Amino acid sequence: MGKYDKFFALAKEAGLEEVELYISESHSLQISLFHGEVDEYKDNNGYSILARGILNGKCGAATADVWNKDKAQWLISEMVANAKVIENDDPIFIFKGSEKYHKVNTFNKALEEVTIDEKMEKLHALENALKNIDKRIVEVAGTEYSQTTEKVTLINSNGLNLTQKSNYFTFVAQCVAKEGEQTKSGYDFFLDNDFSKFNAEEFAKKIVKITVDQLGGEPCETNKYKAVLHPDVVTSLMKAYVGHADAEEVQKHSSLFIDKVGQKIASSKVTIEDKPLQKNVFARWFDDEGVATYNKPIIKNGVLQTYLYNLTTAAKAGVQSTGNGYGGGSKKGISTSFLSLKPGKKSQEELFQEVGNGVFITDVSGLHAGLNPQSGNFSLQSTGFMIENGKKGKPLDLITVSGNLLEVFKDVLEVGNDVTVSPSGVSAESVLIKKLAVSGK
Amino acid sequence: MISKKLAIEVLNASLATGADYSEIFYEDSHAHSVMIENGKVETSSSTSLCGVGLRLLKNNQCVYGYTNDLSKKGLLKLAESLSKSFHDKRLITVEKLDMIKCKNRNPVNRSYDDVPVEEKIALVREGIDEINSMKDPRIVRTFGGFGDTHRFVAVFNSKGKWFKRATEFGRMMYQVIAADQNGFETGFEGPGAQQDISYFRTDKVNPKKTARKAAETALKMLTAAECPSGKMPVVIGNGWGGVLFHESCGHPLEASAVAKGLSCFSNNKIGDYVASPVVSAVDDSTIPSQWGSIDIDDEGNPGTKRLLIKNGKLNDYMIDDLNGRRMNREGNGACRRQNYRFIPTSRMSNTYICNGKNTPEEVIAATKLGLYAVGFNGGSVDPTTGEFNFGCSEAYIIRDGKICEPVKGATLIGKGSEILKKIDMVANDLDLAQGMCGASSGSIRTNVGQPTLRVSEVTVGGRGGELK
Repeated sequence: MGKYDKFFALAKEAGLEEVELYISESHSLQISLFHGEVDEYKDNNGYSILARGILNGKCGAATADVWNKDKAQWLISEMVANAKVIENDDPIFIFKGSEKYHKVNTFNKALEEVTIDEKMEKLHALENALKNIDKRIVEVAGTEYSQTTEKVTLINSNGLNLTQKSNYFTFVAQCVAKEGEQTKSGYDFFLDNDFSKFNAEEFAKKIVKITVDQLGGEPCETNKYKAVLHPDVVTSLMKAYVGHADAEEVQKHSSLFIDKVGQKIASSKVTIEDKPLQKNVFARWFDDEGVATYNKPIIKNGVLQTYLYNLTTAAKAGVQSTGNGYGGGSKKGISTSFLSLKPGKKSQEELFQEVGNGVFITDVSGLHAGLNPQSGNFSLQSTGFMIENGKKGKPLDLITVSGNLLEVFKDVLEVGNDVTVSPSGVSAESVLIKKLAVSGK
Repeated sequence: MISKKLAIEVLNASLATGADYSEIFYEDSHAHSVMIENGKVETSSSTSLCGVGLRLLKNNQCVYGYTNDLSKKGLLKLAESLSKSFHDKRLITVEKLDMIKCKNRNPVNRSYDDVPVEEKIALVREGIDEINSMKDPRIVRTFGGFGDTHRFVAVFNSKGKWFKRATEFGRMMYQVIAADQNGFETGFEGPGAQQDISYFRTDKVNPKKTARKAAETALKMLTAAECPSGKMPVVIGNGWGGVLFHESCGHPLEASAVAKGLSCFSNNKIGDYVASPVVSAVDDSTIPSQWGSIDIDDEGNPGTKRLLIKNGKLNDYMIDDLNGRRMNREGNGACRRQNYRFIPTSRMSNTYICNGKNTPEEVIAATKLGLYAVGFNGGSVDPTTGEFNFGCSEAYIIRDGKICEPVKGATLIGKGSEILKKIDMVANDLDLAQGMCGASSGSIRTNVGQPTLRVSEVTVGGRGGELK
């Protein structure tokens, strides 16, 4: 095996009973254009190593980005020093491995063969299209291509040795529209690992539409409205909502889902699944603790099916880990790699018709400040459109929407069929909700 | 550390194809953090960062790469690979490197390297004990933590200059979650400074006071009603209230937005009125030992005090050398990055609105009906449109000039260019508060700050209906 054998031997000598290394090796390329010229070009080779070690049943951790003799020694001494001060009595694990892993391929060799000229050509095509589709676009603030190839290796003193290699690319662009005194900006991401799927003209059209559609916006009357939420908004709210299924939050009395497994917590239209084995760039067939992942519903027809566990919280609850142990440090957090809201049958337009008169919320910002993850209460800066007589109407600007996550998912009347996958690893659709408080003029 | 001789060799290799500037950024940092949850040490982790970022400029173009392979071979490979972006003749050869000497305004008497974990734990525990002594059954979860970083940076550039900079900073944090039959609320306090651990045992900053404040905020907000919504006068408390200026005006005055004409202030010239005449604002990286201070920036320009707005008139920007090229200005010491993995750009340091003439009491007394916002969770802005938002963690209704019932869940939104013109009273109780600011060059330490001030009208989002 080689490279890390000596390390495990040294760690054992230092008194560490079990040790694990989580190694990430990456190469990334980033090219951005401004006014037809390469504005930034970034070419990086990244390496990071997280070491976790158990001493007298306690876990200490240390992270470094260089691997040499001195650093290996440093990692060992820091693990020991950190483990010595831990008082938490929770069971901890350096995992021996799951019985079976369902491998998913997340590496597309063809992407590695795309030439720099092909990437540049798409970037220029994107910038040109953004400039020329609509006269109201006064500036293309930036177009950027980035590509990452990453290999993660989990190797431990209990014989586990897992590796997953993945690659993906993104195109991001932002443009600015102006009409009269009003300036609006809009941007979007495209993420995949199949370069042939990217169509610069279509992507440009989408961003231009997002941007110019906002022009002429003004606040609406402060009121409660029947509302359609754009898939991007649903994505933001759903991530915070599913956070309450985190078993650690439940065990520590900080979750809104305490004692709710088997109970109806949301509208029967709501089915949310954790799909780590879905074939896409987000797929993970083992979590950061080495546990085999599997697809499962978290909420099915409004009924909470399960909490999400890592090894520690599962042991405390007397259940199996659900393969959701992610994150760095001595203690793993709980997360999902790909969340999916099950689509309904109606198109976005049909949802507008169903609303009749209400609002269509397309974007919410400032989630870190305006959403209280504990209480689920939110009040967020938003943009969107009026829905008038069943059709998308005039744009809205400088409004806030407020509510509570539990209430929003209870108030779902319909889920649309416009499946939208976001770069944050969430698949969601437009959602029609009974009422939403909007603050405007 | 890399030697000057190797630095010259790498710089010259990178300049072979006609770059007009090259810069090596070497970093060797280590950080430690410890967290106590519900009275028990839950996590203790160490992080080491060591790498080199190489930046080449030619006109307005920037080429950047980083590596963890610090061998001569590794660095020359990086230089050669990046230089392939240009195809001209060599413009510059570096012969020697002279050291730039800079003031050390942020010295510490004792390095965090010499502070055992146990001492940090003992410090944090004093605050946890204080929370426990409150014996309030509504407190369901407590977190207390301490994080410290020792950062060493050396920069070598093709202007024939080099410098090194060592900084040490620490931050103490408490988070308290309180719950009752109606739900959960959180209180957070996190003072920090470029000071050694003794700073956290002073009258102004100490574990007991900090922890108690976090617990009291969580408990107070538990009993608070939902904040009303609509347009209303808002008195914004000192210290953390400065997040208003940070988002609405600070980010749009960074050269990264201004130079490309992408700032809502791009059309304004120096001397134009962009704020009410009672507003003056500063970004000052020279305040000794402050959280956001730097002695020298990542391009070797000394930290400075920049008067951004003078009596309502636009006066200056935060500028880095590269964006300065588009603005025909030299960098003014604002070039920063999180670590060697990021391309540096113009950023804020300690940014605040200056003291005015009123007392905070006068500002409250002059307000008939409105919101008094004192605690904040942070916010965000689109620098192009100036549209910002920030969330309040602690707020009260002002009635007939008096602070009345607490309200929760308030979000303030608006446009920077409009809100600054609506500031009509500024008090004299300037204070600074510590935060982390995220932008293209990563997450960096910044202070926000302001005295108590009043905005005549702000759109407030909340769940409590109309303000009556």
